[in-house]
Amino acid sequence: MKLLALMVALPLLTAFLLSVINSISTFAARWAGPVVLLVTAAIGLSAWPHLGDTPQAVQWGGFQAPLGITLYADQLALLFALAITIGALLLWPGRGEDRTEEHPDDHSRNRLRRASLALLLAGTGSGLALSGDLFNIYVFYELLTVVSYGLIAGRGTSGSFAATLRYLVISGFGAALALAGIALVYQAAGTLNLAQLAQLAPERLNNSQGFAAFVLMLIGFGVKAELFPVNFWVPEVYATASSRVSALLAGVVSKLALLIIMRLLILVFHQPEALTVLLVLGVLGVASGELAAWRARDVNRLLAFSSIGQLGVMFIALSIPGNAGVLAALAVAVHHLFLKPSMFLLAERWGGSIKGLAGAAKTSPLGAALFVLLALSLIGVPPLPGFWAKLLVIMPLLALDQPLYYFAAFIVLAAAALEANYLFRVVLTLYDKAPAATPHKAHATVDLATAVFLGAGLVAAVFMLAPLAERFDFIAAQATDVSTYIQTVAPLSLESGSVQ
Amino acid sequence: MTVLDFLLLIAAITVGVALLVGNRAGGGWLVTILYALQGTVLLLMSGLGYSTLAVVHSSVTFDILNQTLVWRFDALSWFFALITIGAGLFSSWFASGEWGERYRDSGGSLALFHFALALNVFSMLVLLASGDLLTLFIGWELVSWASFLIMALAGGKAFGYAMRYISYAFAGAMALLGGLLLIYAQLGSFDYLAVKESVPQLQTSTLWLLVVLFTAGFGVKMAILPFHLWQAKAYAETPGPGAAFLGAISSRMGLFAFIVVLVQLIGISRLAGLEVPFTFLDARDLLAWIAVFTTIIPTYIALRQHDARRLLAWHGVGQTGYMLLGIVIANDLGSAGGLMHIFNYATYQAMLFMAVVAVMHRTGTSDLNKLGGLFTRMPLSYIAMLVGIIGLAGLPPMNGFVSKLLVYRSLIVDGSPLLFLGAVIGTFGTILSVYKLIHNIFLGQLRVEHAAVREAPLSMVLPMMILAAVVFVTGYFPGLVLDWTSAVQRAIGMPVLAHHLGGMMSDQGGLDMIWINSILLAGFGIGTLVFLLGGRSRRVHQLDNYAGGHFLTAETRYHYSDNFYPGLMHLVGGWYRSSFEWLERGFVSTVDTLSTAMQGLYRNAHPSYLLLAAVVFALSWVIV
Amino acid sequence: MHFSELLVELVLMPLLAFVIGLAMVLMMRRIGARIQRRVGPPLLQPLYDIIKLYGKETQISHGLMHEIGIIMAVGGYVAAETLLPVPGMSGLADKGGAVTLAYVLMIPSLGLALGVGQCANPNGSIGISRALTAMLAYDIPFILVIFGASYLYGTTNLAEMIAIQQQQGVSSWGIVQMPLLALAALLTLPAIMGKQPFEIYVAPAEIATGPMVEMGGKYMGGLFVMQCFQLYTAGVVFTTLFLGGGMYWITFLPKIFLVVAIPMSIAYLFPRYRTEDVLRVMWKWPMLLGLIGLAMVMQ
Repeated sequence: MKLLALMVALPLLTAFLLSVINSISTFAARWAGPVVLLVTAAIGLSAWPHLGDTPQAVQWGGFQAPLGITLYADQLALLFALAITIGALLLWPGRGEDRTEEHPDDHSRNRLRRASLALLLAGTGSGLALSGDLFNIYVFYELLTVVSYGLIAGRGTSGSFAATLRYLVISGFGAALALAGIALVYQAAGTLNLAQLAQLAPERLNNSQGFAAFVLMLIGFGVKAELFPVNFWVPEVYATASSRVSALLAGVVSKLALLIIMRLLILVFHQPEALTVLLVLGVLGVASGELAAWRARDVNRLLAFSSIGQLGVMFIALSIPGNAGVLAALAVAVHHLFLKPSMFLLAERWGGSIKGLAGAAKTSPLGAALFVLLALSLIGVPPLPGFWAKLLVIMPLLALDQPLYYFAAFIVLAAAALEANYLFRVVLTLYDKAPAATPHKAHATVDLATAVFLGAGLVAAVFMLAPLAERFDFIAAQATDVSTYIQTVAPLSLESGSVQ
Repeated sequence: MTVLDFLLLIAAITVGVALLVGNRAGGGWLVTILYALQGTVLLLMSGLGYSTLAVVHSSVTFDILNQTLVWRFDALSWFFALITIGAGLFSSWFASGEWGERYRDSGGSLALFHFALALNVFSMLVLLASGDLLTLFIGWELVSWASFLIMALAGGKAFGYAMRYISYAFAGAMALLGGLLLIYAQLGSFDYLAVKESVPQLQTSTLWLLVVLFTAGFGVKMAILPFHLWQAKAYAETPGPGAAFLGAISSRMGLFAFIVVLVQLIGISRLAGLEVPFTFLDARDLLAWIAVFTTIIPTYIALRQHDARRLLAWHGVGQTGYMLLGIVIANDLGSAGGLMHIFNYATYQAMLFMAVVAVMHRTGTSDLNKLGGLFTRMPLSYIAMLVGIIGLAGLPPMNGFVSKLLVYRSLIVDGSPLLFLGAVIGTFGTILSVYKLIHNIFLGQLRVEHAAVREAPLSMVLPMMILAAVVFVTGYFPGLVLDWTSAVQRAIGMPVLAHHLGGMMSDQGGLDMIWINSILLAGFGIGTLVFLLGGRSRRVHQLDNYAGGHFLTAETRYHYSDNFYPGLMHLVGGWYRSSFEWLERGFVSTVDTLSTAMQGLYRNAHPSYLLLAAVVFALSWVIV
Repeated sequence: MHFSELLVELVLMPLLAFVIGLAMVLMMRRIGARIQRRVGPPLLQPLYDIIKLYGKETQISHGLMHEIGIIMAVGGYVAAETLLPVPGMSGLADKGGAVTLAYVLMIPSLGLALGVGQCANPNGSIGISRALTAMLAYDIPFILVIFGASYLYGTTNLAEMIAIQQQQGVSSWGIVQMPLLALAALLTLPAIMGKQPFEIYVAPAEIATGPMVEMGGKYMGGLFVMQCFQLYTAGVVFTTLFLGGGMYWITFLPKIFLVVAIPMSIAYLFPRYRTEDVLRVMWKWPMLLGLIGLAMVMQ
């Protein structure tokens, strides 16, 4: 299973070589990116069944843990690595955009730049998902951040630069905090390998220092996961970046950050306070996001705020102790993974104020119908998948029988009611009679096709609920199995884990 | 494949067929025939309605979350399904002829209309067939969104009303979801039987929470106070026959779910044990009072409407109160009356809406200040409306009288004079209001521009006439319906009303409508004889009138229509304060303010500053 | 009971009611006359009036509903009388009961309202608007009274109410058991009968603004017949609920005449209330008395 490492290496390598390839053959440069992503996706998919029985660990550079670069792949990690790879492929930046005004020279240069950014995104994203130690996670995370700067600023408008700057500032702070957290962990445990940390955590990190480290890392990594106090970049960025970039960031990248926090929670930090912090921040995220979305005046911002709310729900789900929490977060995350990109793609041609969209359904009936479907699933109307995901979140919340969790359940439900209101205001506007003057742009075929593909995935899920639920259950169980993690990464050398 | 599978399959096929052929000529008729087929299949299960058959299962099941979802019909479902399919059948029939052609020609999609109607029927059947709390919720949501679809069909203003509906409905659904997941969290099952058995374990506080959540959830659909604001406008703006259908049965689904959960699972007696702190009331009283105010306030709002459809729709809200009241009182009389009222109300409300739509079809308006004197032009529609308003007002000889009487009698037996008083106030308000309705449309001065108006086409008149016959016959022989309600009472564990074909038997005074109605008809016969004894009368032309000694030509408009009850309004006019509208606006502006604040937070807040605050907070927590 | 016996009762009861009603109209006019120091009409004057109205040559009909309305007004009362037990005859009392009766009694009003509506005279419509408002005013306290009686006697069957009062003597009469309710009922009686001071909706003095505006000849005659029944019904209902009904006509007749005479005598002393004042008065005093009375009954 060393091949899995290629999921990280191959896209990164291709990205760096792309300009070289371009000087040899533009045709090769144009197709190299998608082909590489296809290959890596195939690698990932072929590895999927094997990981069902036993998770795999790969040591890079020939050193055993804790010294080498450890990649750890269970189905959870692979799921997200696949998500970013296939996501980058489907949402290949720059496609479907109107480029008639672009200079031909710029055109090919921009395409090259976007291609390498997409490859970098896939590579670093996969790396983030598969990494098995904190240092690598940090490195990949930073790389990912830099790639996203490039993507967001790619549109070249002043708005997008301003948004990027804001994002830059917050990310910088986040990175510093995360680093501080990692330092605290290292100071306490003397290692950054997650498997080793998992072993040492009960004695070394189950204290206030460990808790502080968790909070710092949570806020640090939370920047990308749209965690409440560090998500102020979200509305501006999504409103100004191209829809495909927003789709990637909101749909996929945010889930990667979530995955890291999930891993840290499962393996390292077991303090009940950690869960409380997550719960509180999650609730604040849901409340602030959904409330802000209620007054949003354009679709992109609306989706941005709503995605803050959705991520808040995932944090609430994560705050549920045990298997149920991971399962719930996973279900919501995967649902969101399909749904949000599709919505952002539809929003591509629905810019400007929501009021101006009146009659847009006439121009693109399929797009409007799909939007209705997505909206229904997002607010959780049975039998669409969103409903079952919501069920998985609320059932354990209520089962815990504690006031704070009851309150969280209430907030999730109330937020759904609010969501129904603002989403269907948009829907009704789409179907309203058009004022004669403004013709609406139809969706680019590729955007619409991708959105429909993702939407079809949601519908298909309705018919496979039982097997899907079983599979998610299994993935969650596998992910929460700490001893397997430890065994897989370093079967031998763990008792000699004192490095300092 | 069981009969129930068959029924649901046909209902699903109807949905598909409606979408495919709805726009073609004759497509509506095909759909109507399919409803008739649904009705026939339902009759195959009629054992449910007569307690000879306990339950019909569906062979479709579904495993999820360690639960097996099942669908089945019992007496309660059958009773509601009968009304649903009947309402669907007649509404579709009404829409299939000239009305449909006109609708299509004026730019509406007739296929979409038939599709929405069929979808409503189908989703309601799915809801009625629900066999556990989870399927109940699934059906509930289907019904909500199907109603949303049909309400939004008209576009324009209707969008706003449909939006208001779905905001209420979805918030209610979330309350419902919270409630049933709370049950699951506490009792570990969604299954009706299992839940029913373990409900006694619930603590009082939990039970209170459940009662509040479920009442809110179901109450939104029923439009009981304080969730009543959405309904009338949304129903009124639904395209003609759609309004008849929604008015007849749609919000009854809330009552169905209420019966299933609060009556069957939790039990009225348990509700009666839940005391409201610091008052003499318990949860049951509270519900009864909500029901009574739901009767009074919307009825008096209806009294002030000057659009016929709004007026009817507001009465629809008001009549819900009687049904809920009877069921909450929960003795044999009350529950029979409440259940029977569901059927009775559906029959005349559908007919009333149809009559109004027929008038609109011919005159183009439902504004009560722009009509008048149409009795001679549209006599059959007039008969439909007359029968309907007598039913709605609850006067003999129509069926509405019997059900209301049962509810009144239950209140006497229960010894609740104030509730009784409230119910009666509602009834009198209804009488005033429906007289205004029929007077302003059919009586009084005929407008010159309506002098050439013809009776509505047969496709519209025939459903009305059949419904009128139903209203009359079930008023004459209430035992026909009481058979079904008794089966329902038996199924939901209520005391069963002793009844016969003509009415009911009771130690405290029985009722025999066959006698009452016969004597009434005989009385009319004698009245006719007495009338004929007099001299020959000469009939003057309808437009040949004078007023107060002034000879007026037909061009002068003197129809007394606006502000019809000035004396009453002089006294109670000040009590119309739109408090609930105010409350709603207050809520919306609160959300709005919060929303603005949150947007401000995201737009302006200095990110780095907040970040710093977060760090300081985190660190201080660690250090302290 | 034998069917033929019942049939005879069903024919006799409305007939008797009509005759007694005529006498009550006469009594009412005589009382009015005495108070105003006039002689008053002769014995058969009400009958003559009816015959005159029915026999008129000019009979204007404003359409079918106009005629049906009058038929409903008379027919409804004819039917209602069979629900009212009188000495020796209980008719259909066991098929309906007090609440049913109260609702059957609205049929004539509805018929009248529909008939007047068809006349297309705005003044007639105004009259109906007032009449219905007045009905809202007096029927609510009245129905409270019925509630109280039904609760007290434990049945809505009027025949059984009479039986209970007859068996247990005067101390069990409604007027002793529930004096406040009786008073409330007495206060609503003039309004129910459409008499002063609550007769604005009939507006007999100004024919141009009332339900009667388009009524002439036998239409007016029908209303006259209706009034006979109205007076009779009011008297009998009150007697049944509060005065023990009657075993024999000899005790029964004085009671019902007395019941009608009392409000009639007082009525002529008062000026007329406006429509909204009818509401205000009815919803204040009889309602208040009724509620207190109910509270006492239900103790």
